[in-house]
Amino acid sequence: MEKLISILEELQPDVDYATCDNLVDGHFIDSLTILALISEIEDNFGVTVPTVEIIPDNFNSAKKIWQLIERLQEEE
Amino acid sequence: MSYFSSLYYLAFLPAVFIIYNLFPKKVRPFILLIASLIFFYTYSKWLLVFILISALSIYIAGKLLNKLINEQNAEIKDLELEKKKLVKEKYRKKKKLILLGTILFNVAFLFYFKYLGFFTNVFNNLLSLFKFDSSFKIVRHLAPIGISFYTLEAISYIVDVYHEKCPSENNFFKLLLYLTFFPTLVEGPITRYNDVREDIYAGHKATYDSFCFGYQRILYGLFKKMVIADRLNIFVKMIFCDYNHFSGPLIFLGAIFYTILLYMEFSGTMDIVIGSAEIFGIKLKENFRQPFFSKSISEFWSRWHISLGAWFKDYIFYPVSLSKFVKKITSSLKKVFSTHVTSLVMGGIALFAVWSLNGLWHGAGYQFLFFGYYHFTLILLANIFEPYVIKICDKLKINRQNIFYKIFRIIKTCILVFIGEMFFRANSLASGIAMFKRLFTHFSFHRFGHYVLTLGLDIKDYIILGLSIIFIFIMSILKEKNVNVREELSKKNIVLRWLCYYALILSIIVFGAYGDGYAPVEPIYADF
Repeated sequence: MEKLISILEELQPDVDYATCDNLVDGHFIDSLTILALISEIEDNFGVTVPTVEIIPDNFNSAKKIWQLIERLQEEE
Repeated sequence: MSYFSSLYYLAFLPAVFIIYNLFPKKVRPFILLIASLIFFYTYSKWLLVFILISALSIYIAGKLLNKLINEQNAEIKDLELEKKKLVKEKYRKKKKLILLGTILFNVAFLFYFKYLGFFTNVFNNLLSLFKFDSSFKIVRHLAPIGISFYTLEAISYIVDVYHEKCPSENNFFKLLLYLTFFPTLVEGPITRYNDVREDIYAGHKATYDSFCFGYQRILYGLFKKMVIADRLNIFVKMIFCDYNHFSGPLIFLGAIFYTILLYMEFSGTMDIVIGSAEIFGIKLKENFRQPFFSKSISEFWSRWHISLGAWFKDYIFYPVSLSKFVKKITSSLKKVFSTHVTSLVMGGIALFAVWSLNGLWHGAGYQFLFFGYYHFTLILLANIFEPYVIKICDKLKINRQNIFYKIFRIIKTCILVFIGEMFFRANSLASGIAMFKRLFTHFSFHRFGHYVLTLGLDIKDYIILGLSIIFIFIMSILKEKNVNVREELSKKNIVLRWLCYYALILSIIVFGAYGDGYAPVEPIYADF
């Protein structure tokens, strides 16, 4: 989780990732940031993020993103 | 039968409403289906067969995919992880074959009806460029109504079934209703099966309240179209057809008026579409969200024709940017460049694909391709320079949240939109470029006032336009602030409520631009 937070902070600073739960819906991260984030997730956590998983619900908070990573790790 | 014809909202829709209510819940979806097929037939006659074929193709493909998914799940149930992967891979190949086959099959129809003529022309141009003394006959076909919309819906259904995001439909007629549903058939919004499948078959009772609420929305749409869009039409037509006679400021005014016309026509149609569905208790997603309050072009496209933007994002942008090909390029770039640069390349390639297709979707012509690449360039440049703009603002101590800075960005976005729409409306790419040139080479206000008052609009028209646009602007601000005017109105007493309805009806009858001296706008998006 810490690693994920540091990736997020590097990509998009000035957001409180501990509390923010509308990263996509609140326009804190745009589609390019999501792409960069996916690229970092795939490199750092050894998972492949399928396009079908790119829905606001999976990216609206650091916690949700972490849950997605854990789920993908289990499936793979 | 256009949504703006009195035949639609005074005869067809009330008739469907009455018949729909006469039947029990289970039969009601079939009433909607029959009404939709009749509606389709009034536009495209025997071309109805093509939408039936499309529906049948995704129905069969959906069933086949479902069968494979079930077989796969049964096979992997008690397997170890590694073996599971192998089995999944085996089924993935089969599923992909069905998916790609179905997409190609449906796109082939779209290509045949909409793009064959254009691409034959492009090919002939290439032949003559390389001095080949032959050419192919350009054949243009009358396309089934709404083909650009229902093909995208068909693709979204089959892709979602493939990804197990949506269950395959067992009832062919339900799927046929999804594609042909008469309110959304001609101009969208491009719905997703998962979003509408429950509502559309629920057979909700159409009540007095749903009827009133639906017609309120329809009236609002009629107001936008008949009082504003139709009033601007002659002025716009004159400027765009005869631009060689007009100065730069007049051409720019023509571009502004065309953008307003397009917004009022298209969003007005969406009001009628959403209102029509609302009558039957079916809630459709909004297709517009106050686009002229956007602070950037990418924001504009997330507020204008939302369902098309969302479709491109889900089915083109992400799949392309996360494809093996793009990932290969970016992984080698990553070793040299920063994450910002690699994500720009990743997104840039996908954006190029999105805007090429978006341009072509809007029409088979060079000006539409240009329209797509114009937006691609603006969005890409904005993405490239965004970090530098932030740095400059910080250095100059400009607060980016300041209201004046926001207004500056909104005005900048609007000007870029007006220019884009000028190319979009131009009769050809050459005309668009010539008009753009004239903005600067013929910048003069000589006889500006004279033309403004003689090109189909007089003082009375400008007063009506001004007041109507202010009314729509106030409604938009309220919506932006999440104030639901219709709900607020429904809480008021009956006298005030009906006073508002009558005011709207009367304003359409009295101030609507119809009859001598006016030419109603043809449904613009219906041609796509």
